[in-house]
Amino acid sequence: MAETASPGSSTPTGPAFESPVVRSSPSSNVGDLALTDASATTKWLVRASNDGPTADLLGARFGTSQVAAGGALVLGSRPGEWIILGAPAEVAATVADLDAHDGRDFVSALDWTHSRAMFRVTGAEATRMLEKVCGIDWSDHMTPDGAVVSASVALVTCDLARNDVNHDDTAGTPSYLIFCDRSFGQYLFDALVDAGDEFGLSVLASGVS
Amino acid sequence: MLLVPCPNCGPRNSTDLRYGGESHARPDPNTASPQEWRAYLYLRDNPAGWLRENWYCASGCRRWFSIERNTATNEFRDPPLPGDKRGGAA
Repeated sequence: MAETASPGSSTPTGPAFESPVVRSSPSSNVGDLALTDASATTKWLVRASNDGPTADLLGARFGTSQVAAGGALVLGSRPGEWIILGAPAEVAATVADLDAHDGRDFVSALDWTHSRAMFRVTGAEATRMLEKVCGIDWSDHMTPDGAVVSASVALVTCDLARNDVNHDDTAGTPSYLIFCDRSFGQYLFDALVDAGDEFGLSVLASGVS
Repeated sequence: MLLVPCPNCGPRNSTDLRYGGESHARPDPNTASPQEWRAYLYLRDNPAGWLRENWYCASGCRRWFSIERNTATNEFRDPPLPGDKRGGAA
């Protein structure tokens, strides 16, 4: 899954994107633990019956994620609810598949790009950092790569997905995508910066993961 | 900390959920007397023991579910299973 959109980019049909995070100073030294404002990533919300043909088409069951044929990442965020994210063309391909699907399922699909903030935390210490602000068990056996949960992060209701970054054939570096309502974006960003401070958190430029 | 076993999300801190009060059947609108409506709306059993309650998983799956809790010990029992009409999503 590629987060290629930049703050100045736009969705295929929408206006130019403006990040909810306005106070973000990229760190000059890039350490092991990094926080990225990836809010510009194209995001769609899909709702349908939990066990209908749309669920079969999207594939990701509640609590899991998978990469769709077009390259978008599909998150099973809640029973009967999915988040699709990726580059605009990747997401458009998956949504087009829903349109073309001949089924009797009632489906709603909504472009969420401008209404949700999204951050990526990457690094060996990302798990310990998240444990400071979220009550979920982030151990590998409970939330392995690909796990999706909804939970309170610094008292903000968020969707979280573990989406490890793999370099070469080595084990992936823990990486988490965190979504929240746009209006909480700045607060949550600041809370994550505070939580990661003791681990040497670096803030990367927007849109770079 | 009170751990509430959500049927979809698993054990969660009660701060992630919203308490929905005692769970009891709604009277039939066609036959219920004013006294029955009053009892349904305002009167609670409030026992020191097992009580069926409604909970809303606000930070997780955003589903209502019904479960029994011992109000004296905060033990939970009889959580709904997946596909259950009481809140477990299939």
